[in-house]
Amino acid sequence: MQTQEFDELYGKVAQELRRGILVLATLSQLKEAKYGYALISSLAEHGLEIEQGTLYPLLRRLESQELLQSEWNVDGSRPRRYYLISPTGLEMLGALTAEWRNLTTVMDRLLEISSTEGESHESH
Amino acid sequence: MSLIERYIYEVGKHLPRKNRADIQEELRSALSDALDDRGGEGASQEEIRQLLQSFGPPKTVAASYFPEGQYLIGPVLYPLFRMVVGIAVAAVIGAQLLAWGVGVILAEAPINPLESALGLLNSIPVALGWVVIVFAILERYGVRPELDDEPWDPEQLPQISEEEPVKRGERIAGMVVSTVILAILVAFPDKIGFVSYPGGQFFANPVIAQYLGWISFSLLAGIGLDVYLLWQGEWTTTSRILKLAANLLSIVVLALLVQGHHAWLAAHGAGGFLSAVEQFSVDLDGGVQMIGMQAFRLAFVVALVVTSIDTVVMLVRQVMAGLRKSTMGAAKV
Repeated sequence: MQTQEFDELYGKVAQELRRGILVLATLSQLKEAKYGYALISSLAEHGLEIEQGTLYPLLRRLESQELLQSEWNVDGSRPRRYYLISPTGLEMLGALTAEWRNLTTVMDRLLEISSTEGESHESH
Repeated sequence: MSLIERYIYEVGKHLPRKNRADIQEELRSALSDALDDRGGEGASQEEIRQLLQSFGPPKTVAASYFPEGQYLIGPVLYPLFRMVVGIAVAAVIGAQLLAWGVGVILAEAPINPLESALGLLNSIPVALGWVVIVFAILERYGVRPELDDEPWDPEQLPQISEEEPVKRGERIAGMVVSTVILAILVAFPDKIGFVSYPGGQFFANPVIAQYLGWISFSLLAGIGLDVYLLWQGEWTTTSRILKLAANLLSIVVLALLVQGHHAWLAAHGAGGFLSAVEQFSVDLDGGVQMIGMQAFRLAFVVALVVTSIDTVVMLVRQVMAGLRKSTMGAAKV
């Protein structure tokens, strides 16, 4: 496969992989009310870069699913829409966190097996 | 107007109307926040351009506010839509054929096949249009067919039919052609023939007029069989036997027609094409008539050969299938 082709495919697959965790990441950061840009900064500080064009629609969706609540706040330098996790959202966050821990354990095990298998193949 | 306002306006064009103003307001606030990091009021045009570039094309950004996508008829409704379209088209064609049939039988008004065909060409898009409109409304208001959530038993899956499926396109095409021919034959029995060119004089074909009843009967049998096959959806022993009978009837009628033309040509003193040309030079009108009848005979000979081959192929396949079935049956035992 050409490098460029590989990079394009990688972009797609990696984006799919990350998309699944964005909900969990977002919910985890909204126990305190935040506006969109502050949330992006907070996620970026922890090492998760997320595009603005992706985050704002996601926040709307989570709100329509009643996992988030939101309201406009006009106290700051400009009006901002603040998002806060809802009681249902909190419950969901707990469930998703457990699922995430389970998944990482399983994935670690799977990736470890495949990497040792890879090594044994190479040694033969 | 600033680049940011132009961007927000452009995104708004593609947003759902309900939340448009609110989303635009949030975008404005978010872009201003992002711009603050790049110098706020003092940000250069180039920095604003880069910011918007990183935000994404307006249409893409707007589309991401429709998480389930935007459809006229969505994937959930689509299978039902296809089914209804099939029924609607079949109903329109069926009604048209019925109207033709009734018109031909009553023969009150002369039927114009071309006009009827054009009518069909009009009524199908109209029917489809209404189906699309109804489904678009269902989609718009979120009406969903009940999905098969109820428990199902794999044992209840229908058996795979061992019969060969009927090729619908072939059957419908055959039906339409037969119907058109039948309509012409019945509506204008005295107009079947040929026109001399140049000259424009019309000659009726006396042989077709003679066997009109037989031809109509054979065509009707074919149409009836096609309707039956379309309804059944697959070939069965019964339909194969019926098809054989219909083919045999066609062969008999075509043989009668070929024989009739032959006799007519012989009676008018023409054995082959060459003598017809010879006569052509002597008597112009007679010559044209002779060539016309020759052409008709040739056409019927071709049809006879094609039908015969088709029949033989069918017979052979039937026998092969029978043999295969009996050996399979033996293997099972």
